[in-house]
Amino acid sequence: MIRHPLAWCAWATAALAAAFIDRNPFLQALLLLIIINVFIPYGAARRIRIWKIGLALAVVPIIFSVALSRFGTQVLFTLPDIPIIGGRWTVDAAVFGASTGAALLLTVAVFAVLQTTVRSADLVAILPQPFYRAGTTVALALAFAPKTVASLHSIREARQLRGQRAGWRSAPQLLLPLLLTTLERALQYGESLDARGFGSRRRSRYRPLPWSIADLLIVVGSLAAVAAIVLMPPQPYNPYLDLVPGVPTVPSLLAVLLLATPAVTAGLSRMDHAAHHA
Amino acid sequence: MPLITLEGVGYRYPEAEPPALVDVSAAIEPGQVILLRGPSGSGKSTLLRCLNGLVPHSTGGEFRGRVIVCGLDTRAHAPRELGAHIGFVFQHPDAQFVLEDVEAELAFGMENLGLPLPLMRKRVEEVIDQVGINHLRRRRIDTLSGGERQRVAIAAALAVHPQALVLDEPTSQLDPQAAEDVLQVVMRLVAELGMTTVIAEHRVERIAPLVDRIWTLDSGVLKDQPPRAALAEGGARPPVVDLALRAGWSPIPLGLRDARVYAQRLPRPPPYPPPQAGEGKAHYPLPRAGEGRAHYPLRQAGEGNSHFPRAGEAKFHEGDFREAGAAPVLCRVENLEYRYNGVQAVRGVSLSVRRGQVTALMGRNGSGKTTLLKLIAGLLRPQRGTIHADARAAYVPQDADALLFASTVEEELRGQPPEVMAPFHAWLRRYPRDLSSGERQQLAIAVVAAQADLLLLDEPTRGLDPQVKQALSAFLRLRAAGRAAVVIATHDVEWAARTADRVLLMAEGKIYADGLPAAVLSDSLVFATQISKLVGGGLLLPDEVPV
Repeated sequence: MIRHPLAWCAWATAALAAAFIDRNPFLQALLLLIIINVFIPYGAARRIRIWKIGLALAVVPIIFSVALSRFGTQVLFTLPDIPIIGGRWTVDAAVFGASTGAALLLTVAVFAVLQTTVRSADLVAILPQPFYRAGTTVALALAFAPKTVASLHSIREARQLRGQRAGWRSAPQLLLPLLLTTLERALQYGESLDARGFGSRRRSRYRPLPWSIADLLIVVGSLAAVAAIVLMPPQPYNPYLDLVPGVPTVPSLLAVLLLATPAVTAGLSRMDHAAHHA
Repeated sequence: MPLITLEGVGYRYPEAEPPALVDVSAAIEPGQVILLRGPSGSGKSTLLRCLNGLVPHSTGGEFRGRVIVCGLDTRAHAPRELGAHIGFVFQHPDAQFVLEDVEAELAFGMENLGLPLPLMRKRVEEVIDQVGINHLRRRRIDTLSGGERQRVAIAAALAVHPQALVLDEPTSQLDPQAAEDVLQVVMRLVAELGMTTVIAEHRVERIAPLVDRIWTLDSGVLKDQPPRAALAEGGARPPVVDLALRAGWSPIPLGLRDARVYAQRLPRPPPYPPPQAGEGKAHYPLPRAGEGRAHYPLRQAGEGNSHFPRAGEAKFHEGDFREAGAAPVLCRVENLEYRYNGVQAVRGVSLSVRRGQVTALMGRNGSGKTTLLKLIAGLLRPQRGTIHADARAAYVPQDADALLFASTVEEELRGQPPEVMAPFHAWLRRYPRDLSSGERQQLAIAVVAAQADLLLLDEPTRGLDPQVKQALSAFLRLRAAGRAAVVIATHDVEWAARTADRVLLMAEGKIYADGLPAAVLSDSLVFATQISKLVGGGLLLPDEVPV
């Protein structure tokens, strides 16, 4: 099941706005649940590999905030006068860090959805003609990421074969061969693109991307969500002012709920993109 | 009127000293099939890239003369314009795809030409049938094997209806079965569509009977000859041609079928195994006897795997038995089991490897060869069974490129003893990744395995030209003579016949045959050399056949 890439872009924009503008923890929890529900029907076939990064991004701000911030009233404990980390450690700072972490986790989740639902080639195809070459370059760069990881593995294995250590300390030595491999590959891609007549004239589309009702619903829902957030901005949650979060406002709640449109419409028009003209 | 004309083409890469091409003049008529040969680094890729303008447009450098493709001068027209006329298939199966799935990839070239959708659909269906990849059409590119990728690449090139197909060593990175599939496709296009084709290829046995002209490149100088004259002169050629030249057959047969007629005149060799000890040598020379190869039964009865000749039936020289006892076992493996991702890759393999032995490990893809090598090398830990090795094992993986990443050859070889450095003297200052594939392979072996007593090589001949293969063979024999043991996983039957003392056949994670190459390889449909198919009787190589 495929939705139009522009619909996904609209949805992602709205979801990111919701994740960052209102830091209300209730809404954040709700938003995470909704994103997971969107991911399941569209991306269930693929495994998410970046959840570890998401978790790390969620935890790191807590540590930094609690260890470095000296604001807040609810004191956890007081460290002796050690440079940088000495002084009062507060609950407020920890909660502030957690709030930032949650926003970052949501961002990663949104991009995980985008990554599984939008093919880079489709995204390039909807770019206007003048951006086409630039867009394709970006798409190619994206396609490189998994291959770069694969070459990193083979380089590490090669180093083991040569009896070199494979720990983190060897990372800088891995960087150069990795860069070389990637560059060589990029040159080959360039040659292949040229040899296959890329960019010689106006392109035609083998797979036109039709708009479906579901796509329109997603766009409308996302635009409404953005409008609600922008036009009626909520009082952002700030643990330093008040540790207990307030009740979410109706517009923000509505905005977050509207983001569930892709999940709700997932049952509509079960058409495989690849089979459009089969 | 020729389809492609090269007039006095000379080319020098930017900042390179010797020219890559020197005054190349040739013409390709419509429908011709051209085989381009030459040692690695002789300028084959450069010449092919001239045909669609990649040289000089994407490489820069100093270009002389002119190339006219379908009436277009490549100096004035960019590769992307020539892409409509020349379908190009690159050497590396993974570096030429742009999109994610097969169908999109097939349409990519046509999209670039701006063809209307109905025409694109029709052509996609047609190339899918022509190349026989209907079962792959919905697959993602990254799930395809190398051979499947090359077939998709050929189909994608074909979809734009080019006037000529140019293939740059399309099989050099593939195992023989996949290479065979790809060459089948090329041959079918030639036969059914009369496709004008220029192909650089080391595996000449398959296509030699089909070609109209052979172009031989040496240091950038091109010789354009009819096939028989070119093959008679040297370079990569099918084993039957070697035999024909020795036996004075004329005209030279280019393939097995032509050669059968002549083979009738040869004295019939007795069937293998030879009748009695001592008599064998009298009847026909044992493979490379007297060249320091030990011929001995490699396995005692009851050790598990079947033998060639089978245990009990085998009759060997008594001296061979003694020699077998003399060579100490370097590595003994017992009841090895290894399973990953739910696949039993190695099941119950027992094996001893002796000093001075070169063993070829053969079998289809996925039969467990690589896993077995990695187990012996200690890179994988067996789930069951024991490995006992008396020496340091070194494993050289298939993709030797990954091993080389210093900025000069000298730096790669740092810390190696002088005798290892010696053969690389001329290259010490060079950048390892600029070496040709054969040179890189040699360097990788030197870097990893120079000092090991047990050398484990995975497909070392992939992409190597005949001269380099011969050099590699000599090098490994030399190491074996220096009391090292060598185990090679390979698909290359001709090379294994020339190099190994012992052949193991593997399938489904088990070794099912073990013995002398002459015995194992001659009693096989798949793993038989061309000469063995022609003459039989345990003769594997052209120089063994009495004429």
